[in-house]
Amino acid sequence: MRFVVCVKQVPDTTEVEVDPETGTIIREGVPSVLNAFDEFALNQAVDIKEKMEENIEIIAISMGPPQAKEALNKCLAIGADKAVLLTDKVFAGADTWATSLTLARAIKKLGKIDLVFVGQEASDGNTAQVGPEVAAHLGIPQLTFVTSIESIEDQNIICKKETDEGFIKIESPLPSLIACMPTPGFVPKIPNIREIMKAKRKPYEEWDHKKLGGDSSEYGLEGSESVVIKTYSPPPKGKGIKVEDPPEKAVNKLMEYFEKEGIL
Amino acid sequence: MAKTKLSDDRDLTEEQRLFRESILDWAERNMPLDRVIKMNREGHPYPKDLIKGLADLGVIMGTVPEERGGMGLTWKDQAVIADVIGYIDPSIATAAGFMAVETGWGFTIDRYANEEIREKYVKPAIRGDKFIGIATTEPGGGSDVSNFKCTAEKDGDEWILNGEKTFISGVEEAKEIGGGYWVNVRTGPKLPEAPHKNMTAFFVPIDSEGLTPTEPYDDAGRNAISTGGFIMEDVRVPDDYMLGEKGKGFYHTMEGFDNARILIGASSVGVTRRLLEEAADYIKEREVFGNPLAKYEAIQFEFVERYTEMEASRLLVEKTAEMQDVRYDEEGWLERSGKAQTYKPTEIAKWISMIKCKVPHLAKDTADDAMHWLGAAGYSSEYIFETAWKGVMSYCVGAEGGANIQKIVIGRETLGRDYVPYK
Ligand SMILES: Cc1cc2nc3c(=O)[nH]c(=O)nc-3n(C[C@H](O)[C@H](O)[C@H](O)COP(=O)(O)OP(=O)(O)OC[C@H]3O[C@@H](n4cnc5c(N)ncnc54)[C@H](O)[C@@H]3O)c2cc1C
Repeated sequence: MRFVVCVKQVPDTTEVEVDPETGTIIREGVPSVLNAFDEFALNQAVDIKEKMEENIEIIAISMGPPQAKEALNKCLAIGADKAVLLTDKVFAGADTWATSLTLARAIKKLGKIDLVFVGQEASDGNTAQVGPEVAAHLGIPQLTFVTSIESIEDQNIICKKETDEGFIKIESPLPSLIACMPTPGFVPKIPNIREIMKAKRKPYEEWDHKKLGGDSSEYGLEGSESVVIKTYSPPPKGKGIKVEDPPEKAVNKLMEYFEKEGIL
Repeated sequence: MAKTKLSDDRDLTEEQRLFRESILDWAERNMPLDRVIKMNREGHPYPKDLIKGLADLGVIMGTVPEERGGMGLTWKDQAVIADVIGYIDPSIATAAGFMAVETGWGFTIDRYANEEIREKYVKPAIRGDKFIGIATTEPGGGSDVSNFKCTAEKDGDEWILNGEKTFISGVEEAKEIGGGYWVNVRTGPKLPEAPHKNMTAFFVPIDSEGLTPTEPYDDAGRNAISTGGFIMEDVRVPDDYMLGEKGKGFYHTMEGFDNARILIGASSVGVTRRLLEEAADYIKEREVFGNPLAKYEAIQFEFVERYTEMEASRLLVEKTAEMQDVRYDEEGWLERSGKAQTYKPTEIAKWISMIKCKVPHLAKDTADDAMHWLGAAGYSSEYIFETAWKGVMSYCVGAEGGANIQKIVIGRETLGRDYVPYK
């Protein structure tokens, strides 16, 4: 079987600060990391590979600038067998539509694929659109909010999926796309130094838009259906109040506050 | 981890960056600073999960060739690893002490050992299942390496060893999980004009008949790896347990010291960086007389001095690690660089001595300064500084050679052999 895992390199959100004047994210000097949702997806793929007797090839792909190679190196160290970086100036400025088209074309180029793994969303854009759109471009079923894979048998996959009410089990034929949602107790694999050194020898390729085919106007900013006019942080909410009294007293205090503020 | 970040990773390769990321992630899970402090306070029994954990992580003996169980890492790679290990273990007690002793000496043992020793001891040590180290110091000879009394006498195809070794790292660990030592003994008479001659190295398993470990020392710091010793009474080892050549033990030992010292230096850079980051967090927050401590030049300038020395040391280690790579791949280097000659071992030893003489002291002095900057808080074991101070002190006073001895090497290589004070 062959799995594709789509990954993105994102700024380390734990290190991100917002410029108080412009309201935009300060990107300079912020380290880049593998998107945590994608890391979870890759860990799922590697877990299955380790558990199943069948031979499985895991291919990690990413669209991004040349330095996104670092995220792919990490994927190879964690357990991917091969990596492809889709990198081209033409790809720059892509919205979710253009990104998903690029990824889908690359996946088609890879030949027969049984499962496409994506993270539910990326921690920088948080759109959660790229995965489902890739599935649409490929014309395969999509399973979103997947927290675990229960089984893969007879050309069928059974997943556990988070819903607003709780969890459900869901079955789908192969090939399918699964968008993975990390569970709170998730502990990512730490690649050891031996694995990092081995990763160096695994196949790695860089593809540009010519390799994917189609017209350059279909990719990147030009191929995007949406336009970003402005990014900004919502204004700070102010301090808020904290009521720490026992319930009876607290209710009265809150009522007083609501009345004073004209909320009720 | 501290909020302040002082590391400059632009010189690192992609793999080295990943090494760093993995080690930091591992430490966050398995060895946060409060555990380092606790382990040092509690001392033995040493933390077994860490030895195995460090081995699984791959930080031990990476420079051993791949076909012999290592990873064939360059010394530059291993120095980066050592740096991060010092960063996560600023006491150099647990992880860093282990990594340096095992890697420096393990690599050298592997180089001179027969197949049996490699299979039975080196490979398991790489996997964290055994401990291998060095035993050269004796009651009468520390710095004065040639002034040793242990002897070996040939008996058929065996050697019979006698004498005592003191202040030996890891004896308790070796006793518990198995392992052995590079042991220096005399295989001929002591020559007054050349006392270092007739020194020969053997590999001696810790469970050899006639070998009795002595009581471990109650050291000031570095408490999560033991320091002990052993007495050898008619210990028999096979002829081919000789490491390297008969009578060449002194030179082989100096090579081993070089390999361990550079890693101690690299770790000490990481220690210094961690201490500066932790201290920076504090002095930027703590207000006295209406300003954060970091605003006062008396503190800021000391901080800046240490930071500058730390970066200078990092570059010194980096350059020297490159020389080590030349040492172990001379032909490859000559071919790649197009240069006419490589470095002489004594030249490399000079650079390594500069590292060993300065960098552990820098780490110790930084811990000392930081305690001043933080005041009472810095003196308490709530912060890492006092633990680090006691730990790195071991590498200043003697472990892997005291600072003055390094100066003798540097003096010899700069002023000339005529000015060596003691021959
Ligand atoms: C924690 C720890 C772990 C150790 N682990 C090991 C180990 O695993 N294996 C091992 O074999 N040994 C080990 N040692 C011993 C170490 O190698 C010795 O401490 C070191 O060689 C110094 O010897 P010494 O302590 O006997 O000091 P001495 O040789 O007595 O020297 C005392 C002081 O005088 C200085 N000095 C010596 N000669 C001169 C001179 N000619 N001019 C000026 N100053 C001089 C020294 O630098 C030192 O500061 C360890 C030591 C420590 C502290």
